[in-house]
Amino acid sequence: MRSGRILFCVFLIFVAAAAIYMALEWPFKAALFPLSVSIPLLILAGIQLLQLIAGKQEIIESAAVDLEFSSEVPPEIERRRVITAFSWIAGFILTVYLIGFPLTVPLFVCFYLRFESGVGALPTIAATAITWAMFYGLFQKLVHLQFEEGMLQAWLGL
Amino acid sequence: MFDAFIEGLFLVLQWKAFSLMLVGMGLGFCVGLLPGIGGAATLALMIPFVFKMQPAEAFAFLLGMHAVAATTGDITSVLFGVPGEAISAATVVDGHPMAKNGEAGRALGAALMSSLVGALIGAVALALAIPIVRPLVLAFGSPELFMLAVIGISCITSLSGAGARGQIKGFAMGLFGLLVSTIGQERQSGSLRFDMGMMYLWDGLDFVPVLVGVFAIPEIIDLTVRGTSIAGERPAEKLSSGVMEGIKDTFRHFWLVFRCSVVGVFVGILPGAGGGVAQWMAYAHAVQGAKDAADRERFGKGDVRGVLGPGAANNSKEGGELIPTVAFGVPGSGAMAILLSAFLIMGLSPGPDMLTKHLPITFSMVWTLVIANIIAVLLCLTVLDQLAKVTNVRGGLIIPFVLLLVFVGSYTANGQITDLIVTLIFGVLSYFMVLFGWPRPPFVLGFVLGKVIETYFFISVARYGFTWLRQPMVVALIILMLFVIAYPYIQQRRQRAQRISNA
Repeated sequence: MRSGRILFCVFLIFVAAAAIYMALEWPFKAALFPLSVSIPLLILAGIQLLQLIAGKQEIIESAAVDLEFSSEVPPEIERRRVITAFSWIAGFILTVYLIGFPLTVPLFVCFYLRFESGVGALPTIAATAITWAMFYGLFQKLVHLQFEEGMLQAWLGL
Repeated sequence: MFDAFIEGLFLVLQWKAFSLMLVGMGLGFCVGLLPGIGGAATLALMIPFVFKMQPAEAFAFLLGMHAVAATTGDITSVLFGVPGEAISAATVVDGHPMAKNGEAGRALGAALMSSLVGALIGAVALALAIPIVRPLVLAFGSPELFMLAVIGISCITSLSGAGARGQIKGFAMGLFGLLVSTIGQERQSGSLRFDMGMMYLWDGLDFVPVLVGVFAIPEIIDLTVRGTSIAGERPAEKLSSGVMEGIKDTFRHFWLVFRCSVVGVFVGILPGAGGGVAQWMAYAHAVQGAKDAADRERFGKGDVRGVLGPGAANNSKEGGELIPTVAFGVPGSGAMAILLSAFLIMGLSPGPDMLTKHLPITFSMVWTLVIANIIAVLLCLTVLDQLAKVTNVRGGLIIPFVLLLVFVGSYTANGQITDLIVTLIFGVLSYFMVLFGWPRPPFVLGFVLGKVIETYFFISVARYGFTWLRQPMVVALIILMLFVIAYPYIQQRRQRAQRISNA
């Protein structure tokens, strides 16, 4: 966890340094605001990094006003599930890119429910059909959202 | 004046106007639940339908829809951690943890009742302020709007963890948010910044893909990791009592709800200040109200006050935004700009006529806000029991549908696959922020306010040089900003002194 915290600080320092480097090339008006936020960001992330390297313990007082992940699951399982969840999300986006939204929606719901959630075949088919009907009726027919066609359709000229 | 007030009520209660308001409310209910398709987008879609309507009917239809969309946006925020509207993101911070603690009914009851109180206060403000609002709006030029946005940013002190390290992390995240807001074309010189050669970034990053990624993705990951329902292994809440508890909470903390509603009205009145500012300022104000460090620790973990404040501000700002729109034809937000086009379609010109010749129509808007919100909240309360049961359904069954909501919502921003990639990038980033204890609210505040701050700063300097810093209203706002920054420290010192005297 400590190395992760250090890496996150390094990431912030890198972002701030890159922003300063790029902003130096711009006209004064364009550079002023990015410079005036990235310089203090660099300093604050630097201070945080030094504190972490010096081994100062996180003080309970400094808990953020924000969500905290549950810690009931063993770290090994947690890591595996996080990777699985992000893989599904990345897979969803990749499928949208390849075959477009309208085809991805039923496919994603069907595959997720069947293979990730272990739902039976019939309920999966029913949920997929209902989701597709709602997606089609609401987003395509009622709201008239325009969805880009997938790259596969474009390549195949469909 | 009183006659016009009553005439306005009768205009809304005519069967055609009332029916159209109900139709608008139905649409608003649906789109409010869908992330990304906010009230403004729906107003734009519905504008073509108002051509054949009478003015009171058209405003009943449009405002009924807009008012309800703002209210139901809180439902997905609480149940799934997915902001129904980009501007209703602050409700997620405490609303969703309440759902995870098995208090979804209480959170929804509190969100809806505070929304109703906020909407009523906003409507009353609209009715009362129309004759006197002119000097207030005219007193707020670009320097004052700049300072108001800076005050919004200074709320970071309240949204960060206590102690020096908590503040360092909070300010760093606020600055990071400000830096992200600078992506795209700079408005003064036209230079492109951090565009990485991508045309998508020329306009900067849209709120919806970023905010949906920041708030929804970590919640989805957490739900996957836990492998349980949203409410976990906790026994199902007795929903009706939970909802009632939320309603009672609104009145237990009525003074907080009232103050946050006033914040919403005030920010709404000022054109260009942005709706998101109102919610975050109200949230920060609720955190500032914590009695001590232990009380403050409860925020972000499921404190009902963190739901009441943003809920009230979110709806009261609707009335506030209508004030400059009706009185001067100066829209307070994107949605109001679209509503302004409805005025023109109806052959009405906003301004003095709306306060004299067309005063009954102006009051019909007030009544629409009141009636639509009351009906919406009553309807929502009847179905809340069913809605809140979702938190006891196994996560694996909900996740694909929540992901669809997230990504379809994100896609509506620009209609490009890049929107989805932006959501994923900020989702990953936000996951690590939560994992390593870097607070997300300051990041969001910086991101939302960055453009406002930069734009008004340059306009102020171009118009006044640096003499604007000496303007009385600016000086007053600087003092207020210093107070907002110093308040958590003053509070800590006072509590320490109290502890010592008690010992």
